[in-house]
Amino acid sequence: MDRIECQWCKGQNEPDRTSCSTCGAPLDKRNMVSDSGWSEAPRLRDMTEFKFSNSTCQVEGEIVPVAELALAHGDGVFFEHHVLLWKEPSVPLGAMNTPSRKMLGGMPHIVSIAQGPGRIAFSRDAAGEIVVLPLHPGMELDVREHAFLLGTHSLNYSFIRIKGLANVLHGGSGMYMDRFITQQQPGLLLLHGYGNVFQKTLQPGERILVEPGGFLYKDSSVTMNAVQQNLRSGLVRHSMYMAEMIGPGRVGIQSMYVHHGSE
Amino acid sequence: MSTPGNVSTYTCPYCRMTNTDDGAPTCPACGAPVDVRLRVSKSGWSEQPPVRDMARLHFNRSTCQISGSYVPVAEMNLDQEDWVYFSHHVLLHTDPNVRLEPLQMAGGWNRMLAGMPLVMLKAQGPGHLAVSADEPGEILAVPLRAHHGVDVVEHRFLAATGNVGYQWRSSNIWFTTWGDDNNEEWHYPLGQNMDRFMATGGPGLLLLHAPGNTFVRDLQQGEHILVQPGGLIWKDPSVNMYLHFEYPRGNYWFSSARWECKSIWLNLAGPGRVAIQSVFEPPETVGSVVNSSGASTKFW
Repeated sequence: MDRIECQWCKGQNEPDRTSCSTCGAPLDKRNMVSDSGWSEAPRLRDMTEFKFSNSTCQVEGEIVPVAELALAHGDGVFFEHHVLLWKEPSVPLGAMNTPSRKMLGGMPHIVSIAQGPGRIAFSRDAAGEIVVLPLHPGMELDVREHAFLLGTHSLNYSFIRIKGLANVLHGGSGMYMDRFITQQQPGLLLLHGYGNVFQKTLQPGERILVEPGGFLYKDSSVTMNAVQQNLRSGLVRHSMYMAEMIGPGRVGIQSMYVHHGSE
Repeated sequence: MSTPGNVSTYTCPYCRMTNTDDGAPTCPACGAPVDVRLRVSKSGWSEQPPVRDMARLHFNRSTCQISGSYVPVAEMNLDQEDWVYFSHHVLLHTDPNVRLEPLQMAGGWNRMLAGMPLVMLKAQGPGHLAVSADEPGEILAVPLRAHHGVDVVEHRFLAATGNVGYQWRSSNIWFTTWGDDNNEEWHYPLGQNMDRFMATGGPGLLLLHAPGNTFVRDLQQGEHILVQPGGLIWKDPSVNMYLHFEYPRGNYWFSSARWECKSIWLNLAGPGRVAIQSVFEPPETVGSVVNSSGASTKFW
């Protein structure tokens, strides 16, 4: 039987589907890739529904989208507590233990967990896109802090300290990055990107410079460094920093960001 | 329309540039969709259609692709002969081989006082780079014929090709009021300065960013229209502008002309094109007007 491959997550779909059953991306649109190789994250149609484990996720709204989950018994998701929009009273909430060091880095020291069965909805409370990233077993993904909306229970959530003083001070991503790892089971990660989100796959050794505030996520195989660009305007000397990404792996950026300025 | 030799041409109703009709779905000069009807409101405003996702514009030997719909990105594929300039804070990503250097500009002190970008970057091809205005809205492509220019409200500029000259001048739109501490307060509803972009030596491309939706219209000779000062994006240099104060009739002390109840308008007088945006910041209306640049007044 013919199957339709999703251009975003590579999931296989039945021929009568109009959106991917794994990530919700529209299947009847061609993959939008710019001349330099950036793919635009698929804009999920209003009320698009997709599955993970035995549960479903429906994305509602287009300007400030909401992810509404129907959690099955035995399934759970974790999230930063302030992105919770509503839930059914019967859905139990718990807390994930995170190291106290995260408090120093400005990261959430309380990561909440919701268990099924029941319905629960999340919103990042800002205009942008929900980016659905299904993670296959054995993948590692690094995400800008405060950018993740939720992760499924099969994901291993940790964080990595950004190395190098220049990277911490000028890299635009703070002291830590969230790291999501899958082991034997696949997982699903939902991010919130401000504005529009674009993704590029870098070849081994391929480099690209991105605005530090625009960085959203990367495969752990991608190396990130802050590089200084010296500028001189008349008698005034300025310097600005860009985040240098070195492949191999995927890099995701957002088009609305915090510019970290020049000195 | 056809020209001798059976080459079909197409004149874009938005940017007025004539291009070879090669069947492309968007205008190669400004990115406006080709296959939509010109939508004109009954009062004469044409809605500038948003540039389609992944629409490709051509300038000199390079291309510019607009991607995204909420916070769009302009991605340039620069030929080695071409260069563009922009304010450094709009740079989103670049190939490492694109040469970035500051654009030498005079009047740094005045620019700093006026809140204009102090560091402008020049990017020389070959390679890719992308700019984003970092706020929701539309990217407007304004193709300029040689020796033609437009006046642009400050902070709307995104990028321009190397052959587009950049100057700034006083907007000459201001008024003063008495402040709380009996000092004269200065107000600039349009900003202190306006940018003038002029194509030299050949056609050029100017990219602007407008929050909200954009509307354009042609003012005839002597035609006037009142717009919110914060709504103006750009105008032809032939369009004159001045302030217009309107005081509604009121029977109470707080609605008297000596107090604050007034509307502040920008009066635009043709001939020429003007473009406005649907998102704007209303001007401050507190206090009675003491002095102003050239202005008309109406008491209702």
